[in-house]
Amino acid sequence: MSDKTTTAPPATDAVTFEIDGRTLTVPKGTLLVEAAKLLDIEIPIFCYEPRLGPPIGACRMCLVEIEGSRGLQTGCSTVATPDMVVYTQTQQVKDAQDGVLELLLANHPLDCPVCDKGGECPLQDRTFEFGPGETRFVEPKRHFPKPLDLSPLVAIDRERCIACYRCVRFSQDVAEDGQLTFQDRGEQTEVATFSGEPYTSNFTGNIIDLCPVGALTSIPYRFVSRPWDIQNAPSVCAHCSVGCNTELTTREGEIKRVTGRPEPNMDVEEGWLCDKGRWAYDTSRSSDRIAEPILRDGVGERSVTIDRAVGSAAAILLRQGIRAAVLVGPKATVEEGFLARRLAETTLRGAPVSRLGIPSAGLGPLREVPSAQLGDLDRADLVVVVGGDPANQQPIVELRLRKARRRGAKIVSVGPRPHSVDALGETMRTAPGALAGGLEGLAERIAAAKHPVVCWDEADLAAEPAAAAALANALSTNAGARQIELGNGANGAGLRAIGLETSGVLDALEAGIVDVLVTIHANPCAGAGSERWTAAAAKAKCVIEIGTHRTALTTRADVVLPALSAYEREGVLVSMNGRAQRLRPAAAGPAGAAPAWELLIALAHRLGTPPRERTPAQVFSTIAASYPAFAGMTYSTLGSLGQPLIATSAPAIPPSAVEPSGEGLALVVTTPIFGGDARRSEALARVRPAPELALHPSVAAANGLATGSMVRVSSPHGSCVLPLRTDERLAETGAYVWLGLGAGTEALLPAGRSSVRVTVAPEATV
Amino acid sequence: MPIMNSVYRHRENGGAPLTSLDAYRAAGGYAGMQKALTEMEPDEVLYALTRSGLRGRGGAGFPMGRKASFLPKSSPVPTYLVCNADESEPGTFKDREIMEMNPFQLLEGMVIAGYAIAAHRGYIYIRGEYEHQARILDDAVRQAREAGLLGSALPRAGYDFDITIYRGAGAYICGEETGLLESLEGKRGQPRLKPPFPAVAGLYGCPTLINNVETLAAVPPIMVNGADWYAGIGPEKSPGTKLFSVSGHVMAPGNYEVVLGETTLRELIFDMAGGMRRERKFKACWVGGSSVPVLASQHLDTPLDYESLAAAGTFLGSGGCIVMDDSGCIVRASLRLAHFYRHESCGKCTPCREGTGWLEKILQRMVDGEGRVADLDLLQSLFGRIAGKTLCALADGAVAPIKSAIELFREDFVRVIEAGSPVPAPMEVAHV
Amino acid sequence: MTADQIRAHIDQIRHEFAQERSLILPALKFAQTEKGYLTADDLAAVAEATNLSQAFVESVATFYDRLYLETTGRWVISVCITLPCMLRGSDELLHHICERLGLDHHGGTTPDGMFTVQEAQCLGACDRAACIQVNADAMRGPLTNEDADRLLDELRAAPAPTEYAR
Ligand SMILES: Cc1cc2nc3c(=O)[nH]c(=O)nc-3n(C[C@H](O)[C@H](O)[C@H](O)COP(=O)(O)O)c2cc1C
Ligand code: SF4
Ligand code: FES
Repeated sequence: MSDKTTTAPPATDAVTFEIDGRTLTVPKGTLLVEAAKLLDIEIPIFCYEPRLGPPIGACRMCLVEIEGSRGLQTGCSTVATPDMVVYTQTQQVKDAQDGVLELLLANHPLDCPVCDKGGECPLQDRTFEFGPGETRFVEPKRHFPKPLDLSPLVAIDRERCIACYRCVRFSQDVAEDGQLTFQDRGEQTEVATFSGEPYTSNFTGNIIDLCPVGALTSIPYRFVSRPWDIQNAPSVCAHCSVGCNTELTTREGEIKRVTGRPEPNMDVEEGWLCDKGRWAYDTSRSSDRIAEPILRDGVGERSVTIDRAVGSAAAILLRQGIRAAVLVGPKATVEEGFLARRLAETTLRGAPVSRLGIPSAGLGPLREVPSAQLGDLDRADLVVVVGGDPANQQPIVELRLRKARRRGAKIVSVGPRPHSVDALGETMRTAPGALAGGLEGLAERIAAAKHPVVCWDEADLAAEPAAAAALANALSTNAGARQIELGNGANGAGLRAIGLETSGVLDALEAGIVDVLVTIHANPCAGAGSERWTAAAAKAKCVIEIGTHRTALTTRADVVLPALSAYEREGVLVSMNGRAQRLRPAAAGPAGAAPAWELLIALAHRLGTPPRERTPAQVFSTIAASYPAFAGMTYSTLGSLGQPLIATSAPAIPPSAVEPSGEGLALVVTTPIFGGDARRSEALARVRPAPELALHPSVAAANGLATGSMVRVSSPHGSCVLPLRTDERLAETGAYVWLGLGAGTEALLPAGRSSVRVTVAPEATV
Repeated sequence: MPIMNSVYRHRENGGAPLTSLDAYRAAGGYAGMQKALTEMEPDEVLYALTRSGLRGRGGAGFPMGRKASFLPKSSPVPTYLVCNADESEPGTFKDREIMEMNPFQLLEGMVIAGYAIAAHRGYIYIRGEYEHQARILDDAVRQAREAGLLGSALPRAGYDFDITIYRGAGAYICGEETGLLESLEGKRGQPRLKPPFPAVAGLYGCPTLINNVETLAAVPPIMVNGADWYAGIGPEKSPGTKLFSVSGHVMAPGNYEVVLGETTLRELIFDMAGGMRRERKFKACWVGGSSVPVLASQHLDTPLDYESLAAAGTFLGSGGCIVMDDSGCIVRASLRLAHFYRHESCGKCTPCREGTGWLEKILQRMVDGEGRVADLDLLQSLFGRIAGKTLCALADGAVAPIKSAIELFREDFVRVIEAGSPVPAPMEVAHV
Repeated sequence: MTADQIRAHIDQIRHEFAQERSLILPALKFAQTEKGYLTADDLAAVAEATNLSQAFVESVATFYDRLYLETTGRWVISVCITLPCMLRGSDELLHHICERLGLDHHGGTTPDGMFTVQEAQCLGACDRAACIQVNADAMRGPLTNEDADRLLDELRAAPAPTEYAR
């Protein structure tokens, strides 16, 4: 189905017409439902959902009267025309609404009190507002087998289904996974998958949000809360760099549910969420959550009050001649990054401070190309995806790319990984480490396109500066060209924007000139270069850790300060392509924990440099006054949808050495959607892939490796053992592994994630 | 017999089948195509069709020429002709006769209509149950292709036209024109939202003309004899002849070709179809298939044409005339129709999906002896909630016969309800 | 049936359609001729041959009455029960056939796999009411109970059809 038909034609012509006696002017092509909203008139709907494509006019809830038309017309599909006279409140319309509701309810079970949707159910709400008082249906109701699991995460109760087509259209026309369809016909119509197989996709949860009744419900949320004892708050997802806008549901301070925003952010996620963003909230109460402050000193290890812990941390930092270093992880908010930087540079008098992430070297020219919002993909005619695997690493991008393709954009993907975006258009498979080769010929196409957008993977292009330079060049040929960085970490871009760079702390630790390592939402010993970090950190005499979950440092840190997670604290995150958005505190978090920003302020007080700011909003004002990228922004200008950063010129950091380290196969790493910080999620356990090494069959054969056998993968930086899978589509020069599944694959990477080669050898089974 | 003209050659031919091309040619076949393609420009053909006054015989009775003229005059994408041979309206079997007895007249009509709208491909969407008829069409298409009467050797240089026989698989809704298109496009046959109408965006989104078998088969004689000839048969607004399929409690069920406006319902039922069996009394008849309001004996003298039947409160529809004598029970008959519509509702829109099932359940209760007088009011109110509220006309068709039955035969319903016991199944005999 | 067999069949008519999707009904109907019904494997083969998703193919297949996703007997007897046939005794006829075959009164499949009896909606042969259709043969009617008995006997004795048109 083409989305083209839904785009309102350019508002060159306006149409003036009348609804309920009031005159209004709308752009040509405006549907009556949309026009009515402008006058705060509600035309009730069930099947209408513009994000799913053109209206289908199936539920008949939206019938309105139009002067001169025979019978009632569907407001969801009728376009306003000049001088049209529309009535939405006549007796005839009310009777029709009554009628549709009565008919929908005829076979609908009367189990609202035990239905998860009860209290926030559009069918229930419409019935209150527009519906019949009581049903006249005395016949036995239609019967389907009782609730079943549609997938490990979504339950279906077909008796409640009103056949509104929303879930089916989402599957067919938005996610394009083709799995959900209607089967049978007439009153026997039911939503189904092929042969009753489980519905598997990275976006299954959206059908729960779309369902206007309780037919599709979240299994993790089943019977968890009732609508009258929950609170909802708008926030932002911090499980990847995209920054999807979310709504958080809490009960008694605990996070119970994450859903898409009822008022979507059309520039970012368009109201959709991936299943990680929706269900990984249980990670905020996983067993490795740091729940209380820990102090380790001469007396031993014990939990203390947070005040006492902050005091102890300050005491360590106040010791005479102490040399500190501060490391900030990509989940720290902009405010926390800023406070950390000020702590290091001012309070701790120039202590090294850096962020954990991918170095900016060589990426400057690319980042200077004007950046696009994801919503701009809707208007692109050419989209080039360079490197990466957005479907896994920036999941919502997949949906936006699919939509772009439906609207006529050509999609070209270049890179070493086979991934689901390939199927959307052309693929130029490159050998690992040879992105530049795949870009040849693209320059002309970018130059010739009207609205080309290049989505490029931060890690891959940082590892291949020549490709980054070539891509920047290609983009410079077309003033209309835009770029979207497929970045890493919930706030990697925000930390960069306040000048935090990746170098400094590691070298200082290795040089033995750091006595105290302070980490803030950072887990260096489990990421790229983990072995090097582990050795380097061992040289610091003291560690002060501020974080949410246990890390390798937690067991030795002198002071552990439990921090609040993204579900629990306030602050600003900057998404991968530079959109500043607000995180809102919805859940309470562990009683002993505090937000890192507050801990940093408290620390600064104890260290004799009391900051002026007492709230994140105030810290953000200071940032806005200090960094041009944030100029003029405040919490209120960010509002609920956020703002793109102001373009500034990036510091020109020349590319560093490009020679890959090691010998053998080029290592290709990908973080799977349900890995990374979501690997702690119990809800997602059943859909998470297992760790593996993937090789081209010929490579496996050449190395004497059998499918399924255990293989030791070694690089100069570390090694790990993985079961082998072979895949014809892979390059014969590459070794492909998942990151973020707790299998130690990170150890293979050098700190900074530059290119690396690995050797593979059979591992004797124990 | 009140037939004065026959438009369908096999009927003129004394009823012998014209399934071989030679036989059809011997009966004068393909003269219409020859004339249209060699002597007329496409817009002249279109104009002739418009002037002939030929109205669609599939049910809605929309003037064919006018519908064809809604197609864009020049289109950057292909235009298509689709013949609706889904013939699933209860009581209707006239298209079956044409396809069985006279397939070439349909093919010839399609070439002419295709020429008029600059289409190069036509599809005959035939219901899956008509496999036997589909094979006759397959064979006729083969013969016509071999003789250069389909394909690229047509008697008009530069004009080619071919026909595909597409078999349905059992779904009444695929007779609704947009449900048909969806089915032909390989989807579930669920009607589309209109507008856009098929003339603008039909098959594969391209301009498409959809006509019924009987409509298209009437085209060749119009070419041969001229638009005026056809327009001159019968009344001005309902010219031409129409096949009526008569079924039910009559002596001689079958198809009868009547001149519209010049034959009454009584003549159709009593003169042509032989009247009631076993001296029974006429009770009711659904004259245009089952999707139309029922008529009673007071309507028997209504002339059979679109306007007169509308004035009598019903529709000419498909011309499937189902007759019931006084041995039949109108409540049971209504239930059986409700069952049909419930079974055939595609399920896309709420009022039809839920409403047809509800109607059936209420009527079933009545027939089971558990009706309540209040059910009649409930039904009345449900009719208003279903009819006119849906995407396609199936739901209207479900309501019309039952609503009218309650209006015309209320006392029968009341009697059944008050009896409070199951209506005995009438002991029918299989044939007279 | 295999995807290759289906592909070979639809390749002959592929050029007649601007979109490949139109081949789905011809493909399903052809696949069904093998056994008279479609298994999940058949649906998967159709999906493969038409480049459509399996779910979509199943969704289309379940929409139509004459595509069978459950085992059918060698002979599928469709007894029209719509009003015109009802008026001429179709209920009796159906009742009789079902009784004779020991089936539920709304039809079913005999345990020996010989017959499936089903209620059909108007078959377009109301002039031959009460009428029936065996597989996809020409309609038969009018049928008395005795005619039906005779037909059942004939069918039972007849060799299996070479292809199961439905
Ligand atoms: C539910 C429904 C079923 C229909 N079935 C048929 C049919 O079987 N055959 C047919 O020709 N028209 C049928 N029609 C009418 C078609 O939609 C359409 O009007 C017709 O094919 C146009 O051809 P005509 O103008 O030549 O009559 C049906 C309409 C509806 C609403
Ligand atoms: S009226 Fe009935 S058949 Fe027509 S589209 Fe609606 S549900 Fe389908
Ligand atoms: S909202 Fe218009 S028909 Fe459903």
